[in-house]
Amino acid sequence: MSSEGSDVDFYYDDDDEMIVDDDEGSAISEDDMDGIDTYRDDYAAQPSSSKRKIYEVEFDTLPQEAVEGLIRKDVEYISSILGVETDAASLLLRHMNWNKEKLIERYMEDSAAQSAKAGIAPVEPPPAQIPPSSSRSSSSRSVKTSSAPKRVTRRTTAESALKAKALLTPEPSVEPESFLCPICCDDSQPKTLSLVCDHKFCADCWVHHLKNKIRVEGDYSIKCMASGCTLIATDSFVTSTLAEEPESVERYKELIVRSFVAANKALKFCPYPSCTYTVSCPNAATKSALTQMVPTVHCATESHKFCFGCPIESDHRPVICGVAKMWLKKCEDDSETANWIKSNTKECSKCQSTIEKNGGCNHMTCRKCKYEFCWVCMGPWSEHGTTWYSCNRFDEASGIEARDAQARSRASLERYLHYYNRWANHEQSAKLSADMYAKTEKKMEEMQITSNLSWIEVQFAKKAADELFKCRMTLKWTYAMAYYLQKDNEKEIFEANQSDLEQAVESLTELLESPIEAEDIPVLRQKMTDKTVYVQKRSEIMLEDTAKGFLENRWRWNVNVDGFEPATVLAD
Amino acid sequence: MAMESARMRRVKKEILDCRNDKSSNISIDMIDDNPYHLKGTFFGPEETAYEGGRYDVDIVVPESYPFQPVKMKFITKVYHPNISSASGAICLDILKDAWSPVLTLKSTLISLQSLLCSPEPNDPQDAEVAKHYMTSRESFNETARYWAQIYAGAPGKGGGDASAAGKEKEAAGLSESSRAIALAGLSEEHVNKFVDMGFGFSKVVETLSRLNYRGDNAKNITNERVVEKLLE
Repeated sequence: MSSEGSDVDFYYDDDDEMIVDDDEGSAISEDDMDGIDTYRDDYAAQPSSSKRKIYEVEFDTLPQEAVEGLIRKDVEYISSILGVETDAASLLLRHMNWNKEKLIERYMEDSAAQSAKAGIAPVEPPPAQIPPSSSRSSSSRSVKTSSAPKRVTRRTTAESALKAKALLTPEPSVEPESFLCPICCDDSQPKTLSLVCDHKFCADCWVHHLKNKIRVEGDYSIKCMASGCTLIATDSFVTSTLAEEPESVERYKELIVRSFVAANKALKFCPYPSCTYTVSCPNAATKSALTQMVPTVHCATESHKFCFGCPIESDHRPVICGVAKMWLKKCEDDSETANWIKSNTKECSKCQSTIEKNGGCNHMTCRKCKYEFCWVCMGPWSEHGTTWYSCNRFDEASGIEARDAQARSRASLERYLHYYNRWANHEQSAKLSADMYAKTEKKMEEMQITSNLSWIEVQFAKKAADELFKCRMTLKWTYAMAYYLQKDNEKEIFEANQSDLEQAVESLTELLESPIEAEDIPVLRQKMTDKTVYVQKRSEIMLEDTAKGFLENRWRWNVNVDGFEPATVLAD
Repeated sequence: MAMESARMRRVKKEILDCRNDKSSNISIDMIDDNPYHLKGTFFGPEETAYEGGRYDVDIVVPESYPFQPVKMKFITKVYHPNISSASGAICLDILKDAWSPVLTLKSTLISLQSLLCSPEPNDPQDAEVAKHYMTSRESFNETARYWAQIYAGAPGKGGGDASAAGKEKEAAGLSESSRAIALAGLSEEHVNKFVDMGFGFSKVVETLSRLNYRGDNAKNITNERVVEKLLE
């Protein structure tokens, strides 16, 4: 891992979406990870490291409150460093996409400009005197930024008219009776609210505005309602205004948590619908780490399994993200075409052009090189003579030669299809055995009622089916990996392991599919339990050896893979 | 419930305010006595191709108004880069994310009026019109003016001839095909050149519009290219 330093630039050239690397990117991740490390001691939900296998990655599950705690910590840190209120610190951090270093640097350069951009202070000093209650925004005066709205020209007339109106209305001590809210046109609202810009609106309208932004638009940086005003509602303003709307406040907090998590490479939000957990996995936060492990993680809900490194599939062990991605891309591009070519064409034995025979006799003439040959034996037509149009010369030497040439040129296609078919087959089988198990389960339930077997006694098949599904997924991805592995001793060991696992899986499948009779159950149970344990063991060996191989840098690829040495022997 | 009455109160007030304000020359009326489905009307801004035209806008006030923007589209056909020449759909920031609850129906209509003054061809709603606008401004203005005359009732331009009678005479004098050519912003000479080659009239108009075969831009497009497109 330590030797990767010089390769960093190379990785970043990749268009991989996981690496969001702006100019200051490298600085934060380290610090953020520190924060999480210290934090983990207090909040670690699961001591997942206790019995960790080599192919498992260390990670923590954080409930939403825990991430809120992390955010609070950052906000307090910024607040103390920059000497601003926590509300302001929160807005500044959000504006800087939670990058503390960048924020401190920029804020030191020009605090007024940053405050204005973050929506803490008005862009233009308001004509009315700021009421003493908002004295904190002392930096707001004399602020000038260039962040003028893009299309001001179009609405200048309306806007300036409105602005004048909006700014004239608020006076620090407006009598409730005389206040006409410009939004709901109600003059009976007793309570008005405003941000430091002093654009007053009635409390009801503020509630509606915030609710609409949070619930409908999913926005957490909510601007003042006055047209053209760039001030953003602070956390305390939002929570106090929405005091009677706890659901909206919850959503608001979740939106902020999501933005924080998205900005932090060591954190990922659980991708399952309406799940609010965050997974922290600092070990898989860098791109170089992803060349050495497959970070399969899950949130507090065990079944919410996902890959921390990529969105390809929830668990693509044993193959690393980069190779899995490459394989899927190849499958998308090639499979259908390759299948068609394989079943419908042959190559000219001279120039290797792919030829489709779409009718006519076996006397073929290559369009490209004008070579004349027989479609059946692939030998030169000249040896057929001109009189007969059916080929009975299968064993002739020249025909064999031509077929050999063809075979060689097809080998790579065949090779790909070999791996692809097995890959696809395991996926298919996994689905089928899940269906099949559903039927078995039903049968077991019936048996439980008709015979004197207890519930626990008919559970053995469930365990077998679960294990099968898992192993089929592993096997599936071993084929993707094998396709790209360079042919050497390591690959042979890999394939031996793969073959052992495959045999074990197939025989367990057979067992699971065999008819079940009540009287056979004790025997079947014993057999199936034994087999399940064996499959488990084989799968363990497969995953462990591959993971170890990555750590020991044992695997050699037949293509260039990011983060590995260039391939020496390329695929045929 | 409170929300509903707030929306009603506000829309009523806006309609009333607009009626009392004679200076802006903008009117808002209900369609079918429905206070949430309105028709706004304003005149094309002076010294633009739209001058003198009367523009109707369909307004739908959504349930969460004024916290969500109103939905507006032109009823009157307009030749403008940010307005769909077919549907009247409008591309304007304040009708989307730049909306603010303090904006009103009237102020939004005023914004539409000023949109007519200052098109934003880099963010077009109607790509063909925008291309026309970008490549040959003079020809664009001519077409926009013609649309204003035909659809928005703007008086015909051209010195003292700008009387209603002159306009009628002009409109009556134009044949069906000349009218179609003018509406597409093309020249009769160009269209006839390809019609004479034996291509159908509507096909020629459609193809030349798509290629933006207008003004100076026509010089950049070879006859071969046009014929190729016509044969597609």
